[in-house]
Amino acid sequence: MDSKRIEQLLEKYWACETSVEEEQVLREYFAVPANDGSMKELASMFRYFDQQRRKEMQDPALDARIHEIVRPKRAKLRRLLHNSIRIAAGIVVLMVAVWFVRSEIRQTTPQELVDTYSDPELAFEETKKALLMISRSFGTAEEQAKKINLFNEAQQQIQDPDVGSGED
Amino acid sequence: MDLEAFQHRVLPLKSKLFRFAMRLLGNDDEAKDIVQEVFARVWKSRLEMENIRNWDAWCMRIARNLSLDRIRENHRQSTGLMNDGFDVLQEAPSPHDRTELRESMQQVEKIIASLPSKQRQVIHLRDVEGFSYSEICEILDLDMNQVKVNLFRARNTLRERLIKINAYGL
Repeated sequence: MDSKRIEQLLEKYWACETSVEEEQVLREYFAVPANDGSMKELASMFRYFDQQRRKEMQDPALDARIHEIVRPKRAKLRRLLHNSIRIAAGIVVLMVAVWFVRSEIRQTTPQELVDTYSDPELAFEETKKALLMISRSFGTAEEQAKKINLFNEAQQQIQDPDVGSGED
Repeated sequence: MDLEAFQHRVLPLKSKLFRFAMRLLGNDDEAKDIVQEVFARVWKSRLEMENIRNWDAWCMRIARNLSLDRIRENHRQSTGLMNDGFDVLQEAPSPHDRTELRESMQQVEKIIASLPSKQRQVIHLRDVEGFSYSEICEILDLDMNQVKVNLFRARNTLRERLIKINAYGL
């Protein structure tokens, strides 16, 4: 580039009249070491500006922290929704299981025996019914035992005829 | 402002924000804290960002305010030193030239660091970051005249000191 043009630009630069584009021209001009000439000190100044501008900040830890700032709300919302669905699904499964067990119990258990505790008279009747049933069963068992006993006596008389005739 | 706009228009300002905070605070960790805080604030007020005309200038302004608050909290002067040394330019041909270049860069760094705070901020925003005068007005909350006066003084102080160093080694 024409050194006169550079001098003109420098004049404007010191007077703060250069545009951003003209200042870029100066930076590019002084970035070439061969253009230093008698303006070494100015070259180092423009190179300093240029070098500073090109410095990139690299810090993965900071990047991670910055992404955390942005992400949490979405992630939180998603996590909250996910957890709510899981809890709701758990509750539904539990309710269905309870319903099945309840209906199964209702089917296998006679309705009249179910829960009579709230009515003492009914409970008393039911107990009485149960005891009578046990008593009847005992009576039947006694009759059957008598028959077995008769059978045993007959068997004994056959095996030992003397006992029977002696008595006669 | 949605996540996509934040990622494409705000996050790329990370290095600019960091350099500016470093210029004001001179401390790497503190500058990173400022960058994080700027993004947190912008994201928090993302609904209002639609009314902001220039997002770059707005973010830089937040970075500046937070950095100045940090300086006030710590009751200290900002050093303005970037503190991280300089990468040697690849085109420097010999070790001697590289050393000379490094020294001259450090001199520029020291001179800028010694400038009054406003001048330092203005020269950084204009000559390093390339912001327009109106953007600098917005970032620093100054009028055009104040920006130009501060820039004029900063550039001329820098030139005079560099010429002196070059001529007399001072």
